[in-house]
Amino acid sequence: MSLKNRWQEFKVGLTPRIKEWRFMLKRMRGSSLAMAGLIIILGYVAMAILAPVIAPPQSSDPFAIPLDKEIRVLQNEQPTPPTFRHIFGTTQYQFDLFYGCIWGSITAFRIGVFVVAISLLVGLLVGTASAYYGGILDETLMRFTDIIIAFPGLILAMALVLAWQQPTLEISISLSLVMISVMVSFVLIFVHPDRRLLAMNQLVLLLGLASSFFFPISISIPLNNLDKVLVAITIVGWPGYARVIRGEVLRIKNEDYVEASRASGSSDIRTIMHHILPNSIYPLLIVATLDIGSIVLSAAALSFIGIGAPEYYADWGQLISRSRFLISDPTLMVRNIHTFLIPGLFISTFVVGWNLLGDALRDVLDPMLRRR
Amino acid sequence: MANLAAYIIRRLVLLVFVVLGVTALIFAVTMMFDPQVRAYLYVRNIQRMDEEGIEGVVMKYGLRDPFYMQYGRWLGEVLQGNLGWSQSTSMPVADAIRTKWPYTFQIVLFAAPIIIFVGIFLGVQSAIHRNDPIDHASRVLSIIGWSLPSFWVGMLLLTVFYNVLNWFPPGPLSRDMFVAVSSPNFMRYTHVDIFDGLLNLRPDVTIDAIRHLILPVVTIVTIDVALLIRVMRSSMLETLNKPYITTAKAKGLSKKVVIYKHARRNALIPVATLSGMLVAGLLGGLMITETVFGYPGLGSWAASAAIGLDMPAVLGYAVLSALVFVVANLIVDILYAYIDPRIRLE
Amino acid sequence: MSQRNIAEVKDLEVRFYTYSGVVEALDGVNLAIKEGEILGLVGETGCGKSVTSLSVMMLVPPPGKIEGGKILFDKQGKKEDILTMDDNSLRGLRGKNIAMIFQEPRAYLNPVYTVEDQIAEVILVHRRMELLKKAVDTLEKKHKGKTFECGNYRRMLKNPKSLITRLIAKFGSNRTFNNEAKKEVVQVLKSVEIPDPERVAQMYPHELSGGMAQRTLIAMALSCNPTLLIADEPTTNLDVTVQAQILNLIRGLKQSFKSSILYITHDLGVVAQLCDRVAVMYAGNIIETADVFELFNSPLHPYARALLESIPRPGKPFTSIPGFVPSLVNPPKGCRFNDRCSYAMEVCRRVKPVFLKAKEEHYVACFLYGGSE
Repeated sequence: MSLKNRWQEFKVGLTPRIKEWRFMLKRMRGSSLAMAGLIIILGYVAMAILAPVIAPPQSSDPFAIPLDKEIRVLQNEQPTPPTFRHIFGTTQYQFDLFYGCIWGSITAFRIGVFVVAISLLVGLLVGTASAYYGGILDETLMRFTDIIIAFPGLILAMALVLAWQQPTLEISISLSLVMISVMVSFVLIFVHPDRRLLAMNQLVLLLGLASSFFFPISISIPLNNLDKVLVAITIVGWPGYARVIRGEVLRIKNEDYVEASRASGSSDIRTIMHHILPNSIYPLLIVATLDIGSIVLSAAALSFIGIGAPEYYADWGQLISRSRFLISDPTLMVRNIHTFLIPGLFISTFVVGWNLLGDALRDVLDPMLRRR
Repeated sequence: MANLAAYIIRRLVLLVFVVLGVTALIFAVTMMFDPQVRAYLYVRNIQRMDEEGIEGVVMKYGLRDPFYMQYGRWLGEVLQGNLGWSQSTSMPVADAIRTKWPYTFQIVLFAAPIIIFVGIFLGVQSAIHRNDPIDHASRVLSIIGWSLPSFWVGMLLLTVFYNVLNWFPPGPLSRDMFVAVSSPNFMRYTHVDIFDGLLNLRPDVTIDAIRHLILPVVTIVTIDVALLIRVMRSSMLETLNKPYITTAKAKGLSKKVVIYKHARRNALIPVATLSGMLVAGLLGGLMITETVFGYPGLGSWAASAAIGLDMPAVLGYAVLSALVFVVANLIVDILYAYIDPRIRLE
Repeated sequence: MSQRNIAEVKDLEVRFYTYSGVVEALDGVNLAIKEGEILGLVGETGCGKSVTSLSVMMLVPPPGKIEGGKILFDKQGKKEDILTMDDNSLRGLRGKNIAMIFQEPRAYLNPVYTVEDQIAEVILVHRRMELLKKAVDTLEKKHKGKTFECGNYRRMLKNPKSLITRLIAKFGSNRTFNNEAKKEVVQVLKSVEIPDPERVAQMYPHELSGGMAQRTLIAMALSCNPTLLIADEPTTNLDVTVQAQILNLIRGLKQSFKSSILYITHDLGVVAQLCDRVAVMYAGNIIETADVFELFNSPLHPYARALLESIPRPGKPFTSIPGFVPSLVNPPKGCRFNDRCSYAMEVCRRVKPVFLKAKEEHYVACFLYGGSE
């Protein structure tokens, strides 16, 4: 078939999906809460992108909050209230709050997006396989996820932080290829599961796997405590996604069109990618959006206790952790309220934004309440 | 009803299996530490130990043995009630749990019913007045509540209500009351301050305890009620669209009866599951809130134990919270089967 | 069969305000149900039969709204317009004067309550006084006429609305009263020919078979002796053998309960077996109403004719009506059938035909039979 025809076919296949998305966007625009959420998130995106401009880094590591050495000489322990030099004031040990909050937005995105992306992928794989193939595979996988869900995640985070010394992340080129192809296939599910594109994608996957034997090139990135915490949260987080997608796939598995697809000879992969997943994935997206907020909160809580971002790191939870000394002497709280009020406001509005979006998505994507 | 019994037995078997799995996993986490590090747990007086001494401890307690052996040994100890020695509190882990549990229990005792009943009420109202101001207000408030970090809310509340107003102090009891309950005249029947106060005819103890509870409870309720409202609302909306609601209306029943008798009971089913998990989470958690308010319950113990590398304490806490989680799951499943007769067949 | 109309639907208009546009579901529907008759309402899926039936009980779900017309119901001699009734009167009407049964019986029963609970509920709402009297009688027969319980019942009979009686009703012992209700439930279950009614009363809806569930719904509907029973495709989802049983049952019940029945279906066979008169519906309009034999022998409206033509008969090739049912978001002007009608005239495309009397007891909405002046 000529390229032009392929393109036409592709566009035709795309039309119903586009119509769905247009409808969804229209509903979203109508909801003021959804718009508010979106604006908040975009605001933080802007803050993250413009961080180097608004708060120029003062050392090689942009995430190291600058210390005000002058004041530190005078009064190390006491946080200073907002002044002209330090717009939001400083915390205990004289870390500039303004810098910390601005760069903290980048950290927050990093926390939320990475954890959710990986949890989602793993959960998706496990949940779909479990639900689709059923039987013993389903039983064992579900018992396994049950155990992980019963596991107190905080403990795992603590253990990882304390026990895992000098972790580094080795990114290999081949692994990147594999992951890229996985993400591309993910996108293709939504857009248009075209057989040739999928085949090309699988080729990239094989290329990645093959090159891991012949060209093991990798880049090492050192991880700090915060990353260990993120790994812990991911490990205990993916079963939640697995359960959600499993529920959906089980529901859809018995629908007539799935049976029709299999009866007409589609392979398992095709049935899953083309029929089951596009219809079952929406609740997962809703959970993911809401989870970004939750995860940022969990990471902040861990940083607050002391497990998580290092002392100098630009992370909102870590900033509030600097105010822990106030708990032992609550009479100082009013005077130093800026040390926890401001970073807390950042965290809260960030999470509120994602929660508003997720809630709106849930309303929009609920098939029962749609189109009324 | 025979169905119900069989169902419960099946779930109990699964419970044992899951508990074993969780404990194994938790134990595996501790194995991440070197044997030398773990050896310190068995040593009371760290200063007197050197390299060889530590190695001796390692050999003595078999800290290099294969996983299954160490796990088996540990499990055996646990089943006999010996959970090890908690260095951060200088008492056996089992004792630590026993003394600290009542404080966590007090918080949950107040927080859980408030969350559940307020959540159900507001959720139902939200659903009935869908898209009205009531609905929007409760949804926005609940989204905001769910988005707040618990430690932040706690600190803000402390600032306003303690620092500024001095109404509700942190900690479990004020100093005078603490002296009173520690005195030998004060009989500890339940080890729970609120109840013991009344049982000892000292209502001022009870009132003082409650006064100290208000802020932590408010913190938790603010954050968790949101989830319940949301789930109740969506469940209620879904139920109100069901065919049998049309039948109920067609029978000439009043709106109140249709909503509260027919719709709500069906809508409560997913909420029951959530409530169970919520209570379990509360009983096994509260780390942050207790730390912020200086409340000597299980949560703050776990938090300080983790930072202080108090391995047995962390292990004991993990086992406890897993157990609570699993038992709560079981109770919820039974409740579910009771409410919804269809489940009993599965 | 008398000629008295117990219900009349006049020019009923219902619109649904959806995201895809305004759906003109009912565009001036006219129906009349006589006392003691079974009126069949036939039409294809989506033509508005269910909406019509729901409108009679004012149960049209949002985003639907009743926007015009009258529904006159004969309540003890007085004709009242249901569309102008207040909530209290409507509730008094539903379940008591007009009752409804539905298509998928198990979905329309509340899964967490027993059969007994759900039927007793309706009896307790509408026949309360009667049951109280029965309870008093039963107690007196057992020489318990002077007990506290009996006194409660007498008090409830005398002033049913006072606060004290309501409190007592809630918290006092109601055992005899509840037993009376339970006896009624078993009675009404027997009347729909459910075997072993005491046991069935304790069952939950998911434990019932399709036929049993439908009988339960029927029992529930008839428990308060309604004047009008609306049946919305009650046998469509049942096996053919069960369907035959239910139809027989309904026919029998017409005699014993003396209700009129509005029977909605898309199955002409059922209409032929069961109904006295038929109304044919198309795209939100009633296009023909006649006695059942009259309709089957000489249908007047082209749609009705085509419908009867398309009934498969051995030896005859399959025929169908060309074209599709029009979308009701943008309905065609004039007669809604005009684009598929082989007799369509110029006026049909412009003006909507009026529902007129063509013959004795035979009404039609078609310009072929007049009305184009």
